[in-house]
Amino acid sequence: MIEKNFEGVSVRWVIALKGEAEEIIKNYAMKRVATTPFPVYKNKDLDMWLILSGIGQLNAVAATSYLYVKSDASYNTIWINFGIVGSRNFKVGDLIQIDKITSIDFQDNYYPSPSAFKNNNIERCNLITVNKPEKLFENDGAYDMEGYGFFSFAKKIAPYELVSVLKIISDAPGTDLSKIDKHRVEILVSKKIQFIEKVLENLLDLQKILFLQLRDPKYFDEICLQKKFTFSQKVTLRKYLTQWQARFPLRNPLEEIGQRMTASQILKKFSDNLLR
Amino acid sequence: MVDTIYAEDEIIGTKKAQEIISKFRHAKVTSIKRFGEVFNPSNQNFRIQKTNPALILAKKQKGFVLDAPKGFGIGDQNNYYFSHMYNCLYDCSYCFLQGMYNSANYLVFVNYHDYQNEIAKTIKKHKEEKITFFTGYDCDSLAMEPITNFINDFVPFFSRYKKALFEIRTKSVNNTVFRKHDPLANCIVAYSLMPEALAQILDKKAPSVSARIKNMKYLANKGWRIGLRFDPLIYCSNWKAQYAELFANIFKEIKEENIHSVSFGSLRFPKSFFNKLLQYYPTSEELSFLRSNDKGIISYDQSIENEMNEYCRLELMKYSDARKFFSCG
Repeated sequence: MIEKNFEGVSVRWVIALKGEAEEIIKNYAMKRVATTPFPVYKNKDLDMWLILSGIGQLNAVAATSYLYVKSDASYNTIWINFGIVGSRNFKVGDLIQIDKITSIDFQDNYYPSPSAFKNNNIERCNLITVNKPEKLFENDGAYDMEGYGFFSFAKKIAPYELVSVLKIISDAPGTDLSKIDKHRVEILVSKKIQFIEKVLENLLDLQKILFLQLRDPKYFDEICLQKKFTFSQKVTLRKYLTQWQARFPLRNPLEEIGQRMTASQILKKFSDNLLR
Repeated sequence: MVDTIYAEDEIIGTKKAQEIISKFRHAKVTSIKRFGEVFNPSNQNFRIQKTNPALILAKKQKGFVLDAPKGFGIGDQNNYYFSHMYNCLYDCSYCFLQGMYNSANYLVFVNYHDYQNEIAKTIKKHKEEKITFFTGYDCDSLAMEPITNFINDFVPFFSRYKKALFEIRTKSVNNTVFRKHDPLANCIVAYSLMPEALAQILDKKAPSVSARIKNMKYLANKGWRIGLRFDPLIYCSNWKAQYAELFANIFKEIKEENIHSVSFGSLRFPKSFFNKLLQYYPTSEELSFLRSNDKGIISYDQSIENEMNEYCRLELMKYSDARKFFSCG
């Protein structure tokens, strides 16, 4: 399960329909926090949100961008598109993780990062995003209606490695689509929930690596509060404080700062100390 | 090792691509149009990718042979480098590749013949002039040899061009390929070295320095010519004693006559590379001594650089002819 005390946890689910989302909402104890323009759910303790996008690529992009703003998602956020798909290559109920995404409308292809697949033993598959439910399944792979739109936006707001598309096979050639109802989908998802958790845990491990890279060095906020630094001075300060921590882990840089020192004098002082 | 292979449609059916793919029976192979689709997108994180790098097989389209940077060389007036591969099996903390590329995936260009044609043309252009070709700067060719067979293909190729030097820069102790071929007088196996204690911290996943020295000795005894590369020189609290010990250990094992050249240069990066590295390794003491100089390069203070270069030069002169010494930058 998710370490609640780890401050970097940040997860967003983008799922087309309630039936597909129900087990995720339950499993991660999320409650509805908005109804329009898209239903949005949130866990009360964790920075974990879920949005019901509706069907289709446009809805997927709109919902992802809406949730990005609404939830104030940081760059270091995990984005997962989850849902049901059809395929001629897998059995109904199989969970698959997507490693290539194509669209019948666009030339560019997307490739979710292999870092996200490590050690989870979940079958991998390419995804073909189409504009209406697929019945013929002429090509190998899984067919959906949201994945491409979702990924094309999510990769701009988060690192590739934290964006994942996860699907469950709900239909194969010859399946009567009218029989895939909400209840049946919920059962399919509930049977795979432990594997879905595993995928998320792996992504959380990657998120930790990034969190440690992105956080400000110790004392950065305190020093910025004491004196006025320009943007470029803040960049330099961040660099010097990072180096300071590595070189003088036991020396508090605040003690080097005299009351009347300007921002430039503070930077000069740090620089001189770090020279040797 | 590799569980994902991306292969360009154009080369996936070639003998070389199939030979490489066959070595990873459990890997998932995904076809791609061009390697840039996977390798180039921004917003990728090198360090995260390093946890599970994929292998990309591609065709190099142009830029097979490139001019070496000015001032870089081991004695010849014409210096070139070529890269059949980007990224490395090892994970050295100071490696500039982390700053240069968005992706940590291993990218291998499989059209070796195109490289060889361009190299042959370049040699022809310089006729009787001395010329050196460097490899192993954007990857460690020897470390990946069991997969790529690069050296196995290029040693016979360079045996046809005696006037052209071929340098293989490495940290690998894999010597299988050198046992398969007779020593080549115009091939230098150049080892990147640093004091053992520093290497234990910085040269992650690479063989220990003592193992590298042992392998150099083995190759030298077989008749291969050895290059010593102290690049980068790393500044730390007791660097003088550490480097003195390293030099003594090397020359205790290897005869001076087997050394083709010795080169050294201190740690330096373009600014953008350094900023990424500092983000990846915020607790690195080694990076904490670096500063931006007036040319926009991040390096040690000039006085540190001069002191290190001078000390290492004098120390190495105890063991080797100074005419074999070259600067790396």
